[in-house]
Amino acid sequence: MDLIFLQLLTGLAGASTLFLVAAGLTVIFGVTRVVNFSHGSLYMLGAFIAWSLLSRLPREPDYFVLGVLGAAVATAVIGAVLEVVLLRRIYRAPELLQLLATFGVVLVVQDVALWVWGPVDLSLPRPRWLRGAVEIAGLRFPFYDLVLIVVGPAVLGGLLLLFHRTRWGLLVRAATQDRDMVAALGVDQRVLFTSVFALGAGLAGLGGALALPQGSANLNMDLSVIAEAFVVVVVGGMGSLGGAFLAALLIGVLQAFGIALVPKITLVLVFLVMAAVLVVRPHGLLGKPQAMARGEVEALAPIRPAGPALQVLGLVALLAAILAPFVAGPYLLSVLTEAAVAVLFAASLHVMMGPGGMASFGHAAWFGVGAYAAAFAAKGLGAGMAVGLLLAPFAAGALALLVGAFVVRMSGVYLAMLTLAFAQIAWAVAFQWVEVTGGDNGVLGVWPDGWAADKPTMYWLALLLCVGGALVLRRALFAPFGFALRATRDSALRAEAIGLDAHRLRLAAFVLAGAGAGLSGAVFAYAKGSVFPTYMAIPHSVDALVTVLLGGVQTMAGPVVGAVTFTVLQSWLLMGDFWRIKLGLLIIALVLAFPTGIAGAASAVWDRWRGRAA
Amino acid sequence: MMLQVENLHAGYGGAKILRGVSFDLAAGEVLVLLGRNGAGKSTTIKALMGLLRPTAGRVRLAGADIAGWEPHRIARAGLGWVPEERRVFPELTVAENLEVGRRPAREGLAPWTPERLFALFPNLAELRQRPGARISGGEQQMVAIARTLMGNPRVLLLDEPGEGLAPVIVDLMAEAILALKREGATVLLAEQSLAFASRVADRAVILETGRIVWDGAIDALLADTGARARHLQV
Ligand SMILES: Nc1ncnc2c1ncn2[C@@H]1O[C@H](COP(=O)(O)OP(=O)(O)O)[C@@H](O)[C@H]1O
Ligand SMILES: [Mg+2]
Repeated sequence: MDLIFLQLLTGLAGASTLFLVAAGLTVIFGVTRVVNFSHGSLYMLGAFIAWSLLSRLPREPDYFVLGVLGAAVATAVIGAVLEVVLLRRIYRAPELLQLLATFGVVLVVQDVALWVWGPVDLSLPRPRWLRGAVEIAGLRFPFYDLVLIVVGPAVLGGLLLLFHRTRWGLLVRAATQDRDMVAALGVDQRVLFTSVFALGAGLAGLGGALALPQGSANLNMDLSVIAEAFVVVVVGGMGSLGGAFLAALLIGVLQAFGIALVPKITLVLVFLVMAAVLVVRPHGLLGKPQAMARGEVEALAPIRPAGPALQVLGLVALLAAILAPFVAGPYLLSVLTEAAVAVLFAASLHVMMGPGGMASFGHAAWFGVGAYAAAFAAKGLGAGMAVGLLLAPFAAGALALLVGAFVVRMSGVYLAMLTLAFAQIAWAVAFQWVEVTGGDNGVLGVWPDGWAADKPTMYWLALLLCVGGALVLRRALFAPFGFALRATRDSALRAEAIGLDAHRLRLAAFVLAGAGAGLSGAVFAYAKGSVFPTYMAIPHSVDALVTVLLGGVQTMAGPVVGAVTFTVLQSWLLMGDFWRIKLGLLIIALVLAFPTGIAGAASAVWDRWRGRAA
Repeated sequence: MMLQVENLHAGYGGAKILRGVSFDLAAGEVLVLLGRNGAGKSTTIKALMGLLRPTAGRVRLAGADIAGWEPHRIARAGLGWVPEERRVFPELTVAENLEVGRRPAREGLAPWTPERLFALFPNLAELRQRPGARISGGEQQMVAIARTLMGNPRVLLLDEPGEGLAPVIVDLMAEAILALKREGATVLLAEQSLAFASRVADRAVILETGRIVWDGAIDALLADTGARARHLQV
């Protein structure tokens, strides 16, 4: 009985910090319509800044409060700067680019935090008053848990007062409904947006600071909290504070009990609960359909099959790729193998993103499942490479079918958030389930069969499977399936009217994408000889997105151009320390400069040049 | 002159809609901007308001050249826009909708208050606590006008206030505009209906394919059957 009660308290306490983060996310989304991927980074900064302040201040309760508030304010200021420097420029950009740009911020902040605070987890020596317990009705409650449990509802009440009792709150609510009208009534949107962003950032910072005494400030907390916050705002209903509060309680308590009862599958449990809620209430507990009324902003250009010039160019490139082992050294060969894998990885994402109109932020999950399937075939079954390469796309495809069954119902940002949350969970499972996956140490010795053991043969095999796989995907897109899929993307209603089953088409694209990524993961596993959880980590998913974006979403050549460019970038420019900050800035610059991607921009230049020549 | 529009050009992306619109509006005057559906009346008003960036031309409001300013600055300078689609905030109550529009008083104008506005639109008084989504189209039109008046504008830009409303409500709108005129308000009214315009306006300009093709007193237009046939009848 006591144990259950304590567990409940732990859950409620965790729910409070989770609510703070989710509330900030939801408030920012409500007004700016931007899903801020860097919200977890603000939470992380809040924790680090709180550590810096609290470890210098005297250990008295009033200084503790001061330090925590100081961290929240500092994070709010950082948020305001972020809004002015970056977000302000992308409010009217397509959703996908907004998500990517804020992810660029995640990478930048990770390296900045690494540089300022170092790689070691920082925890706070807890003063006695913080460790104390309070006795109520014969039960002893940890004092700090009680503090957190009070903070959640108190902040909710404060926010409701702010939004319903002040002019600023009124203007924010009005802007949530029609921001241009608010401007036409004489309100400076920039001030409003910056202040909303600062408030949201401050809430995240407060959450991070308050979470510090029970854990540590570390470099992983950004992505783990953002995945949870996404789950909370989606379950609660995007834009709803009350919904975020309810959902945070639900998830927080679920997690606390999950960890006590079934530690290994807690995250899976969370995902299942989310799935159940969304099946019953697609817009979340308290959400309204219009929260996603924004729709696609990007005007999507039609996909054209490659013209003769491009086909010749493609053949030449392929020929060069086939002949490469005769001239390339081992290093270049391994870079080329990675490029081949990247082609299929990107092409599979492209299937769902371009023609399918679904941007996944968790594509690496399928890559990782494929890689672990190969590892399982090699180590668990002791089977040959052929089994692994066959098992991988089926395993990834089957899981994609399960997840996709309800994820593809969602549109735009919801899909992006849910795929990210799922991938984060998959990563956590791989990381924690040490008995099967080896945890952080990974699975080693996943070597190809003897006949493919030398580098050139493995490279040719990778080229065959990956480029062949990409061509099969391309073939599917110019088959009736591809046209039907694009019709569904452009207008789901019209497509349904002519008898297309939008849900099944999208699901088919999702599964196809998953299977393709799974195969690329298996090829990668055999080429490297090992599998690690990082294969599934969010940054790897973002690699795929950047690759597709580099190449352009609406050109078939895009994934290939993007994969080659990105692999080259990764092997030279992005090596060594602080690659994250370089990649982050690259992503941000790309979003600001080439919203249609390199291949898209090149094809526009080509068309203009041809137009002038003709 | 309260508002002077000179050679205004504007459009959407590549589509040029306004090709040199010019007219003047004196303080205390009600000017109607007439034209067939699609003539560019709403586009003119949006360009004045800064919601579309004019590509050429000048807009002088009480002396200041406001062309190219951002909407919120134009609103603060004294243009008050009542959009054709009304755009009442659906989840805010009527009273809250008015509050969003509130701006400081303007020199020389009696400041608007909710009480004065409820006197102008008596229907709204009982609806104070009703969300914007749960009132009728006519009531929404009144809220939209009242909300803009809360900003104490120098010039009220009214875009087809009678569109889609029952005749009784259209009558109420005409009476409200006349009441505003008695208080000395300056109004630019975009209209398709000459019948409605002739009840409230002093002067008229007619917009056709992006230019002003007729400018004069409303009575002169009523007398000029030729101009009406050429520019207004469908
Ligand atoms: N958002 C828009 N994008 C492109 N064209 C528009 C847009 N709004 C209006 N138009 C076009 O501009 C022209 C003038 O429209 P509008 O100013 O609304 O006419 P009016 O208000 O006189 O009926 C029409 O041809 C219309 O199709
Ligand atoms: Mg109009």
